[in-house]
Amino acid sequence: MVYWRIIRKSYRRNLQYRLSHLINNVASSIFGLVFIAIWMGVLRGKAVHGPYDAETMACYIAICQSVLWVTTFMSPGLNVQVGVRSGAVSLDMIKPVHYLWYTLSQEFGRLLYNACYRSLPIGLLLGLAVGFSFPSDPLAYLLFLLSLLLAAYVGMLLFYLVGISSFWTTEVRWLHLILLSLVFGFGGQMIPVDLMPGVLGQLAPFLPFAAMIYYPVMNWLELAPVYSIGVQLLWAVILTVVALAVTKQARRKLEIQGG
Amino acid sequence: MLYRKLIAASLRSQMQYKMNFITSAATTGMIMVLDFVILSAILHRFNDVAGWNIYEVGMLYGISSASVSLYRLFAPEVNDFEKYVVHGEFDQMLIRPVSPLLLLLTRNLDLSRIGGIVQGVAVLVLSLAGLAREGADLLWLIVFSPIAIFSGGVIYFSMALSSAALSFWTHQMRDILTFTIYAPANASNYPISLYPGWLKWLFFTALPIAYMNYLPMLALLGKGGGWYYPLLAPVAAATALFLALTFWKIGIRHYHSTGS
Repeated sequence: MVYWRIIRKSYRRNLQYRLSHLINNVASSIFGLVFIAIWMGVLRGKAVHGPYDAETMACYIAICQSVLWVTTFMSPGLNVQVGVRSGAVSLDMIKPVHYLWYTLSQEFGRLLYNACYRSLPIGLLLGLAVGFSFPSDPLAYLLFLLSLLLAAYVGMLLFYLVGISSFWTTEVRWLHLILLSLVFGFGGQMIPVDLMPGVLGQLAPFLPFAAMIYYPVMNWLELAPVYSIGVQLLWAVILTVVALAVTKQARRKLEIQGG
Repeated sequence: MLYRKLIAASLRSQMQYKMNFITSAATTGMIMVLDFVILSAILHRFNDVAGWNIYEVGMLYGISSASVSLYRLFAPEVNDFEKYVVHGEFDQMLIRPVSPLLLLLTRNLDLSRIGGIVQGVAVLVLSLAGLAREGADLLWLIVFSPIAIFSGGVIYFSMALSSAALSFWTHQMRDILTFTIYAPANASNYPISLYPGWLKWLFFTALPIAYMNYLPMLALLGKGGGWYYPLLAPVAAATALFLALTFWKIGIRHYHSTGS
């Protein structure tokens, strides 16, 4: 299938960077260690809160840091804005493959690469530091995988929407930074979203940002609520519809400008 | 003075895009505020981290983020030095009658970082207000804060300049910066005592961020440091700057153009 070929090609293109990335993984792990150290300092000598004792929290953060590379650390705007600026997008849009799926396949190849050369080594390094935690139920692995795929998909669509906004604006950098900080703030990377105070704690689990980080991690820890996959699926559907509609508009805009 | 003239020229060119400056500064500030809000949420729930309450951590956080923003404001081209080595642009700087470092520093100011400085100072002010309500003595904290921010800026600059000098050998810098700027900047928002031994050791030696906020605050917040701890901040900054400049000069002597 053509999309599978695009994915494989993009994966192989990224392989060139693996050496420098493997070194960078050590630095990335330091970020993880800092977060873990903060939580250890916060929880030390305090009554255990819900499922989050010190040990679980350390694993939560470690797995988060690993999952981030598949669901959050994507190319800004999925590089759509690059094509818009150079004009290459007009060629991409007349390809016999749909532009949205073409862009997503490109990115997915990179995410597969990230999974092998970023997530796994970082998970390994942090696991060595805080101890490994594996699901006991084989079904949990399946749920985790499904949840992870949905998380990556939701993430890609959000990034895509930022990128395609470049059809109407000149600069997507700030929109990208806003999206990223929303994901970091409300996705559960620093604090499990259900631990957030007040309304935020009730609202955050149902935002698309939690679908990107919080749910896959909780599925791995076998702590996810039953509706977790449902929330992710819902956002996947909503964002797909939006992305398709916006792509259609962008296409029309391109025709008006004359390519 | 030459620095003033060159910087004025680069400022004039940037002020052509006023709207861009305002939105970028506002977004940078907002993003950093959100980060602090999440931290407050954690500490709101759990009271303290290793015995430091939100206002005390806020002092560390405010100084650290204002410092790193100060460095990013004045030295974006040092932070981005990799391109000069990789594309051979550094050759042009060597044949100018001015020192390459001065050229780098005057080429550009990253004005969006002003948002980060405002955020850092705002966190400091909020924390000071909170500490005042707890009955702390603010005089020395207020006197020391600008010294800390300035020293911190110099320390970050020194670490970045050393990384840039290293790129004369390695021809790449971005991954090094994660070690020398981004990870330390993140770590220094919180008490250094949290970290495992080897990391703590690094923050007192090769990446000397402990001296800009953690050690001085131990003394000023009455957490059991020597009275002279605050004085270590400018001393560490001067030492780091001296070492970095020396290393930079050695690096330049070692520089081989990529010849492209």
